Amino acid sequence: MKHILATAAATLLAVTTGLALAPSAGAAECPSGNFCVWQEAGFGGQRANWSGDDGWWESWISDTDSSWANHGISGPGIKDHVRVYENAWQGGGMTLCLAPGQEVGYNGAANDRGDSHIWATGC
Amino acid sequence: MLRAASRTRHALAAAAASLLLAGCATVEAGAPAAPGVPTTGAARDALLKAAEHRLVADCLSARGAAPTARPRAPDEDRAFRAALFGAGPRELSVTLATGATVTAHTDGCLAAARHRLYGDQRRWFRAQVTVDNLRAEAQHRMRAAPAHRTALARWTACVAPPGRPRPDRPDPAAAARCARETGLDTVRARLESAELAAVRALHHDELTAYRQLRDRALLRAAELPAPTRPPHPQKGHTLP
Repeated sequence: MKHILATAAATLLAVTTGLALAPSAGAAECPSGNFCVWQEAGFGGQRANWSGDDGWWESWISDTDSSWANHGISGPGIKDHVRVYENAWQGGGMTLCLAPGQEVGYNGAANDRGDSHIWATGC
Repeated sequence: MLRAASRTRHALAAAAASLLLAGCATVEAGAPAAPGVPTTGAARDALLKAAEHRLVADCLSARGAAPTARPRAPDEDRAFRAALFGAGPRELSVTLATGATVTAHTDGCLAAARHRLYGDQRRWFRAQVTVDNLRAEAQHRMRAAPAHRTALARWTACVAPPGRPRPDRPDPAAAARCARETGLDTVRARLESAELAAVRALHHDELTAYRQLRDRALLRAAELPAPTRPPHPQKGHTLP
């Protein structure tokens, strides 16, 4: 879904069904200090990871994101929460906000919707 | 490395209060300030963050996983992540109204620090995840509203007029202009405000728990001895 109209259509759909993953063992393979996004649910497929902000995800991961993990490191004054947005440059609405250590294996509403993210001190 | 020190709780509170941190914009400060607890929301956020950081650092040191500024080899980083975030079953799990199931481990130093600060790890996780995503839930509801769909259709026609090549991404200036001219900005502002009020009402119990657990955590944080060096605000993702 690379075209703007496809993005808009995805916005209209606003799918609400979610696949609730059962608690599973093992941490998502995401380097410390990074926010990671996978193309497939359950932290599978190709992974993108960032230690900083990205206002416009590369084409192979934008609108193909299916699972997410925040492995940011907390500390005084450090931006450790991650806000994920449906459009480039933090536009169009926030689909997810994750604190350090939080992971989402699947999200029907945010699936294939992310285009940008920023690190922040809170949500 | 952070070490235990004999500074008073007031020193920690003062150091934390000096940090200008943006806190959770959706929840105001809870109970009146107790001794050692700052009065502003930002300073309270800073105090809690400093306390959590302190507890995590102590825990990592005890597990032989002291943070380092140098890059870690993949296996070393995996061990560090297991100590910090945990590696066992994802026992903390909350499914939001947006469809997202947010999970976390309970066997890492981060979870141990939050358990000590907030007292009830599972209740805090549910409250924190819910409150952190109130805006995302409000925007999720907003996108389903007919008025938003109509405005979005106008915006789409504005940035990608029929008969012209569709841009892979809209020009940011054109997107902003169309959002103004089609009324999308106005519709979003109105609907998001109303939906945010609605989801706050829906999650009254979680908001109450969030405030209660934070208030108790602030008292615990204020009682922690301060580190030998006051924390310094910085960017990046390494433990000082």
